Amino acid sequence: MKLTDHKKYLLEMCEKVDRDLESPTCRKLREHLEKCPDCAAYYDSLKKTILLYRSYDVHYEGSCCEKVLARLELEQPIKITLPKKSRSKRPRRS
Amino acid sequence: MNEDKDLINSARAGDKIAFGKLIRKYEKTIYSFAFKICRDKEKAEEAMQETFINAYRGLKSFSGKSKFSTWLYRIVTNNCLMMHRKKSHEPLISFEDSELLRETGELEVPHWGETPHDAVLNNELKEILDKAIQKLPLEYRIVFVMRDVDGLSTEEVGNTLKLSVPAIKSRLHRARLFLRNELNPYLTK
Repeated sequence: MKLTDHKKYLLEMCEKVDRDLESPTCRKLREHLEKCPDCAAYYDSLKKTILLYRSYDVHYEGSCCEKVLARLELEQPIKITLPKKSRSKRPRRS
Repeated sequence: MNEDKDLINSARAGDKIAFGKLIRKYEKTIYSFAFKICRDKEKAEEAMQETFINAYRGLKSFSGKSKFSTWLYRIVTNNCLMMHRKKSHEPLISFEDSELLRETGELEVPHWGETPHDAVLNNELKEILDKAIQKLPLEYRIVFVMRDVDGLSTEEVGNTLKLSVPAIKSRLHRARLFLRNELNPYLTK
């Protein structure tokens, strides 16, 4: 049987690949994966795709702080205009 | 969050030391995200610096309704999109479900071998991962990286990109299918 014959499950796998298969909402998919080795292999490859990209990270060792602040030094500070306070009535002195 | 709020208020008043503290807190996250989108260290550095410059200039418009990090994600995304549009012509790839599933018309699905974890990805595998994700149109790449790699919730991705949850899910599913199909020839046992 072609995997595309299992289209319904393919789309469901795509949606639920990051969820816990033990949860009640994944029951039907879990049961299908137990019976269908092709879909199980496909599901496994989808999971591994995400894990691989998650593992591939690049760490930034330096700091761009000085460079950014140096560029900002050339600029004027941000002007903030605070809303004018309404004059509150002072209590009359007796 | 409160610490961010104090630093943001000070930075708004022109306190660049406070803004420096915000840069140091978020620069690794922003650089890492920019790299995962651009797949190039120099471009990632450029996108990161522009992001903090834009953020400083736009601090007045930051309402505080969303997290500061979400706001930074929005700025760095726009910078990556602008840099990408300036320099490249994206290949036309069909992203209809039917097309993506047709590529999955395998009679028997091959099993993938064990995948290496963390720091042990070798250069050959990194090159394969880079090539595959670079074929993915940027709009899909951004959703995949935010949601699946950086772990933002679907709602956060939607807020950042100003897209509905169903639109995010649709892009995410297609990106997952596409990347899996691209990696399949290299990773089967």
